[in-house]
Amino acid sequence: MTVEGTAQRKNARGSSKRTTAKKATSAKKASPAKARNSGRPDEAEQDQLVQLLTPEGKRIEHPDYSIDLSAEELRGLYRDMVLTRKFDAEATTLQRQGELGLWASLLGQEAAQIGSGRALRDDDYVFPTYREHGVAWCRGVDPTNLLGMFRGVNHGGWDPNSNNFHLYTIVIGSQTLHATGYAMGVQKDGADSAVIAYFGDGASSQGDVAESFTFSAVYNAPVVFFCQNNQWAISEPTEKQTRVPLYQRARGFGFPGVRVDGNDVLACLAVTKAALERARTGQGPMLIEAFTYRMGAHTTSDDPTKYREDEERVAWEAKDPILRLRTYLEAEGLVDEAYLASIDEESEALGKRVRDAVRAMPDPDDMAIFENVYADGHALVDEERAQFAAYQASFADADAAAEGN
Amino acid sequence: MAVFEKITIAKAINESLRASMEADPKVLVMGEDVGKLGGVFRVTDGLQKDFGEDRVIDTPLAESGIVGTAIGMALRGYRPVVEIQFDGFVFPAYDQIVTQLAKMHARALGKVKVPVVIRIPYAGGIGAVEHHSESPEALFAHVAGLKIVSPSNSSDAYWMLQQAIAGDDPVIYFEPKRRYHDKSRLDTESIPDPLHKARIARTGADLTLAAYGPMVKVCQDVANVAAEEGKSLEVVDLRSLSPIDFDTVQSSVQKTGRLVVVHEAPVFFGAGAEIAARITERCFYHLEAPVLRVGGFHSPYPPSRLEDEYLPGLDRVLDAVDRALAY
Amino acid sequence: MTMTASTANAQRFREFKMPDVGEGLTEAEILKWYVKPGDTVTDGQVVCEVETAKAAVELPIPYDGVVHELNFGEGVTVDVGTVIISVDTDPGAGPATAPAAVEAPPEAAKAEEEAEPQGRQAVLVGYGAAPSSTKRRARKPQPGVPAQPEPVSAALQAELNGRTAPAPVAPVAPVANGTSAGTAGRPLAKPPVRKLAKDLGIDLATIVPSGPDGIITREDVHAAAAPAAAPAAPAAVPAPVTEAVAPAETGVVNAAARERRVPVKGVRKATAQAMVASAFTAPHVTEFITVDVTRTMKLVQELKQDPDMAGLRVNPLLLVARAFLVALKRHPEVNAAWDEARQEIVYKDYVNLGIAAATPRGLIVPNIKDAGVKTLPQLAAELGDLVATAREGKTSPAAMTGGTVTITNVGVFGVDTGTPILNPGESAILAFGAVKLQPWVHKGKVKARQVTTLALSFDHRLVDGELGSKLLADIAAVLERPKRLITWG
Repeated sequence: MTVEGTAQRKNARGSSKRTTAKKATSAKKASPAKARNSGRPDEAEQDQLVQLLTPEGKRIEHPDYSIDLSAEELRGLYRDMVLTRKFDAEATTLQRQGELGLWASLLGQEAAQIGSGRALRDDDYVFPTYREHGVAWCRGVDPTNLLGMFRGVNHGGWDPNSNNFHLYTIVIGSQTLHATGYAMGVQKDGADSAVIAYFGDGASSQGDVAESFTFSAVYNAPVVFFCQNNQWAISEPTEKQTRVPLYQRARGFGFPGVRVDGNDVLACLAVTKAALERARTGQGPMLIEAFTYRMGAHTTSDDPTKYREDEERVAWEAKDPILRLRTYLEAEGLVDEAYLASIDEESEALGKRVRDAVRAMPDPDDMAIFENVYADGHALVDEERAQFAAYQASFADADAAAEGN
Repeated sequence: MAVFEKITIAKAINESLRASMEADPKVLVMGEDVGKLGGVFRVTDGLQKDFGEDRVIDTPLAESGIVGTAIGMALRGYRPVVEIQFDGFVFPAYDQIVTQLAKMHARALGKVKVPVVIRIPYAGGIGAVEHHSESPEALFAHVAGLKIVSPSNSSDAYWMLQQAIAGDDPVIYFEPKRRYHDKSRLDTESIPDPLHKARIARTGADLTLAAYGPMVKVCQDVANVAAEEGKSLEVVDLRSLSPIDFDTVQSSVQKTGRLVVVHEAPVFFGAGAEIAARITERCFYHLEAPVLRVGGFHSPYPPSRLEDEYLPGLDRVLDAVDRALAY
Repeated sequence: MTMTASTANAQRFREFKMPDVGEGLTEAEILKWYVKPGDTVTDGQVVCEVETAKAAVELPIPYDGVVHELNFGEGVTVDVGTVIISVDTDPGAGPATAPAAVEAPPEAAKAEEEAEPQGRQAVLVGYGAAPSSTKRRARKPQPGVPAQPEPVSAALQAELNGRTAPAPVAPVAPVANGTSAGTAGRPLAKPPVRKLAKDLGIDLATIVPSGPDGIITREDVHAAAAPAAAPAAPAAVPAPVTEAVAPAETGVVNAAARERRVPVKGVRKATAQAMVASAFTAPHVTEFITVDVTRTMKLVQELKQDPDMAGLRVNPLLLVARAFLVALKRHPEVNAAWDEARQEIVYKDYVNLGIAAATPRGLIVPNIKDAGVKTLPQLAAELGDLVATAREGKTSPAAMTGGTVTITNVGVFGVDTGTPILNPGESAILAFGAVKLQPWVHKGKVKARQVTTLALSFDHRLVDGELGSKLLADIAAVLERPKRLITWG
């Protein structure tokens, strides 16, 4: 099932200027990152933060990355982020109502996901974690398909090969190796697709992530590592995961790393595009650290007030990704009230569609337990299936229950 | 050459990989030292020269990375045959094997397949230092989504690996390293048994010995000695640990009434426990004696100078046979 | 599922419960209502603000409709999971009984998988623990022991299959797939029985099993250990007697040492169950008639010399059987069965004549199929085979099913008569007593004649007194004057 495509999707592939991929070691106009990472060893360079749209909604230039989008494309990015945020809010509400067991909210991370998501080609392949609902949106995975696993009716309700968007991986960091292997396969095929692997700041500590850096570097695999540093891994801040800014890790493995303002959709789009281009043209992997903030909780039963200050969150509100784009669009006269209202309407309709879809989601059949355990079947699974079916049929209300289904 | 009168298991595996790689260009071989060196046991000798570095890949020293990237390649349509250099070193990859390789097909409701084969030289008896003589097969057989097999002779080694590679499920292929240089007959034009079928290696009437991998030969020796003592033992080579061919074992036990299961892995929570429980259920009224198991002790694999005491050898198995027959 | 009033109600009046606002807290205070009863609300509309220990949270309602009731006022602290507001989702449907404020959620609500599962507290990674069931889900009644494909204990099978009314039998222990009886001739027995056999020095291979699926039972082993009983001996061979104990003090009985317990198993158990089933299902009436059978006894002697009966077993029982069959032809309504389940009487136009036989295993009742159409030689042959087979313990299950009436020969024990119990599923049973020389009024004079008593028990649901009496009288009449075999046959 694909979401209504926007014009933006078609154009984003073709129209943006090809950016040169210089190693970005320092930025002229980067705003300083929040001083969270203390104790950096004698690091002379300033913390990098590629930015093309300030929190106040002003367009700025960057020496290494630029983007040139039409009005329609810019509006499309706005729409993507608004609808993604709406979907995310609906899912959170549905969890509150007991329709979902849990929900991992992406609130605050819309720009990082839409920006990078819209940089991809159709034939590129995505390996997400479990919070990339915005990237799913960009890949044409219907939002309702994401909800099955949070409701507990499946472990991932879509066909990865339909949209080149792998299932959500809950084991932290695991998917970065799958992405690397997939990229090695692309290489062997002689294709020029690229692969993007998403992971968080917490995941960057996992051994599998380090191994994926090793493999991708050694084999020069066409994979982009996109780290959404949202500052928190449940209750642990990034300084529990690293002593150096995360983007600098790549250097140790022999490939470039860049840090981008994760709340700046234009910068995310530009940098990701450049990284994908590098990969496609045989220049190997790149690490992008999108510096953003997890505005919500880790998942819906987490209580952030236990481990972080409200002031911090308030400070990040001022850097809201959607607000800054809207400010820019309004200032440039690229949107009017009618347009904004239509987006709100579309947003409400999406919300209702999501609510209806979730409430109507059927539970899987009992016998689904025994399906798809093996591609080629297994004698013991067959035996257990038969025994369980007989057991289920042995209950007095079995026939009535079967009818009621 | 269709018939090898005497070919080692190692060479048979080499031939098997060749056959698979020739038949399907998507088959890859990857692991530490498999390419240029041809593997620390020379099992992959010559393959890189013949099939190229693109298909026979020397990997970084990172087991989780090896299995994880193999999964990615399989998702892209390849059929990677991964080597984990020694049984004791599979554990860094255990997460990728158990949480990803085993579950991905079911997680995707059947929409993706991960046809990865993991070859692991396993078990002891080679006088090695720590971690090179483990028998961890139960840790994997316990996980749904994986298939586990172990050949005991050259013909099975040749056929079973190809069958594993051709199938669409993840398979762990345990190679009995102490038997790598044992020779037996191989006919590359014969029709092989199904991959997961057990084989009656020797018929008998008084008691069934069930074993797999390196212990099958030991059980054959045991049966020979027992025959001199007037006892007729039937030897079943299980060949597959997931699934287990319980029907063949059941038929045998219904005939003999007694069963002894033999493996190098520790008895506690080993494959023998599953077989004992299930055969007791299926053959309750046929059993003349409880199912006995002979295996390693519940202690870390000992230094090599003690391994003969730890491993089930001829006398320990015969002891169990005697005890079972005494009931 | 039928729509009950409460179901329809629950679907119309939707209740919204205080949700878990995601911080693991169990209660919240209602700060402010933004709606009141009668207000129209839409799905997603914020209806109230609640406060937890940490923060104020707005709650959107997930229904469209008209607010029916606010269950709690502002300032009240409410537990998570409690209904706080109900919405009439079909206000145009007219008046209906609205759910009371504190009514327990109807069953239908659960069936619709609405809101959070009762009593679950969400955790970081999902719904949280659900309370586990403490009530057992009802199972279907276990079916009667199904007909076994392989020969099981003939005696046991006969008793079980002979019943029509399903008796509460403990289900045969489910034998796991593939357990075939006696594969390659191996004796089947569970470990304690094997040990017993070993201790008693018995080779299991020599034992004929009486358990289901050809399994050797403990009783079988005991039976094999005792010396072989005479063919007509009653069942239950005693186990080896325990060590003799020194005689107790005068006046005191050492019960413990002088009692022997034998588990109720196998044929004995099946017989007992059948008896109980029969006795307490069919109202039994027994009628007696004493008859002068001298002529029949003479006929028996003549038939024994008859070449047509050479090699065949000719005895009074044969002629009693024949008389019974002839009488049944005259009163066919007796040859029927009462089908309680279907509330039907099944009239059969074939007679499967059962002959009660005492064997070392116990009482079994094989029957002669379609006895009514057999010639006397055929009847004699089958009767002979039947008895011989039964003595050998080799009666097949098929031979013991489908009987319609039975003869029990209590006379062989010297007993005059009795009140026989119907073989389950049958309508009549005739007890043939001992034939004794007795003084009898014969042609006006007292003579010594050979006299016997016949007792006929019948199922009074099927056979009323008149019918039963007539049948019995006719049997007696044939035996008194065997020429009636020709005129009535």
